[in-house]
Amino acid sequence: MASLEYFEVECPERLGGEYYRQITNDVLLDHNLLKVIEKLHIFIDPKVPVFVAVGTLRKITTIVQVRDFANVNPLEGKITLVLSEETYLAPMLKRFWETFGKDHVEQPDRFTVMLYDVKATPGEIEEMIVADPSESLFKDLIYAFRCIAPEGFRLRQEKFSREKFSFVASENTIAEDIDTVIAEKFALIGVKP
Amino acid sequence: MTLVPVTYKGGIYQHDIIVDLIEDLGGYVVQKHIIAAEVVLQCFVPREDIELIRTIAKPLFGEVTDSPLVGTEIAVVSMSLEIHHLPHPSCDIAEYVRRIGAKSNMVSLARGPGKRIAGLNDEERDVINEHDIAVYLLGNFETCIEYKVPTLRRGIEVPIILCGGPDEETLRRITNPPFDGYVGNVGRFMRRTKESDQLEKLDEIIAEITRVVEKTRDAIAKDPLSVSPARLMDLIREKMPDISLVTSPTPLTVQMRGLRVKLPYDRYAAPLRAIEIEDGIKIGDVADVVPSRMRDYILVKIHPFSETNMVI
Repeated sequence: MASLEYFEVECPERLGGEYYRQITNDVLLDHNLLKVIEKLHIFIDPKVPVFVAVGTLRKITTIVQVRDFANVNPLEGKITLVLSEETYLAPMLKRFWETFGKDHVEQPDRFTVMLYDVKATPGEIEEMIVADPSESLFKDLIYAFRCIAPEGFRLRQEKFSREKFSFVASENTIAEDIDTVIAEKFALIGVKP
Repeated sequence: MTLVPVTYKGGIYQHDIIVDLIEDLGGYVVQKHIIAAEVVLQCFVPREDIELIRTIAKPLFGEVTDSPLVGTEIAVVSMSLEIHHLPHPSCDIAEYVRRIGAKSNMVSLARGPGKRIAGLNDEERDVINEHDIAVYLLGNFETCIEYKVPTLRRGIEVPIILCGGPDEETLRRITNPPFDGYVGNVGRFMRRTKESDQLEKLDEIIAEITRVVEKTRDAIAKDPLSVSPARLMDLIREKMPDISLVTSPTPLTVQMRGLRVKLPYDRYAAPLRAIEIEDGIKIGDVADVVPSRMRDYILVKIHPFSETNMVI
């Protein structure tokens, strides 16, 4: 995991720890979360049993605008948008329908959208925000850690903020002193809890 | 005449020559797959006639390979149906086993995951016991495996092959009484098995399954079954035309000691028992016809020679 500044898996069972390092790597890679996490420390003790993941997050400022994936061409009262990829097509159409009304929006094929009689200038359309990936970031992170943690560990405690997060999972009731453990693990990555 | 399990792979053109030849030699086609222009036949053929089949198949570009797992039904026991265990490694292993002729079913436990909370209910136990072999796919931690394995093996009478993250020696050390087979370093993972070392691991699982299957076959050979399951399959196919209406890929699943008939028990059990095999001997005389715990299927358990005093 080259893009993480710090990544450690701590486990009393050496082999088990190695496997979980691999699992974490695969899951974060699959969910495209490697660029979001800066530091990550995972502690697993199957004897207790408990799974603790603490880490810090990078600042994400990437909002998706129309200009990022479409060319806007004004021509004789209509504006033609030629899309290079359709990932954000659905949220973009939704936004157009809300702003201009369905009568003014037409989609002749997968990669073309036409706007008729709209008041907005091509520049304004280019700057329209269609998606904010950071909105679903916490949801994605929690889902990813649920995949990483052993499946039987169904009692969870998650704390996610813009800068850091902690994720605890266990099969038994989570111990009252778990915050001490979380603080210890945060200290290992140089963060004050 | 000893029947051995083999797989024939060849073109669809004139493949009926091979099917007829196998039947004329006294063999049985257990499964037939037609994939585009290719035919795969999983069959039992007389050992001494394999060379003859090879010779006749040569002009048709067909090849005959040994498939020790043909005619076995294997339960791949996954701890759950969650993303944690599926599609890797459970599906990878089930699919790999299928490629070399076994009929594999995935049995997923309702409360398989975890350490203290892991359990096996009576339906799961009975379904696993209806198979020839169970392959248990466990997790990565020896502590958890050691703790939960006694619960998960309770009541299981078929041979079990234990796969888990710790190495083989550790698995042997933490399990008592020992299992029939062990494959270490195959725990939970979340990537497709496509690298050579991962495929080697799958081959290792196959080798271990084959070893256990051969051992069971040797045990059966000491007290042979009253009738061969493959022969019963042919007979049921002939005498019970309704089986051709079943849309399942294998309406008749051959096992090592019997077969699974995928017809409703209530309607078909009595006519099935009454099917005559030879000289007035009926299926009901040499086998138990019982309801399966899997849907409403029928399970035919063939008695050994020592119980019926006859081999047909």
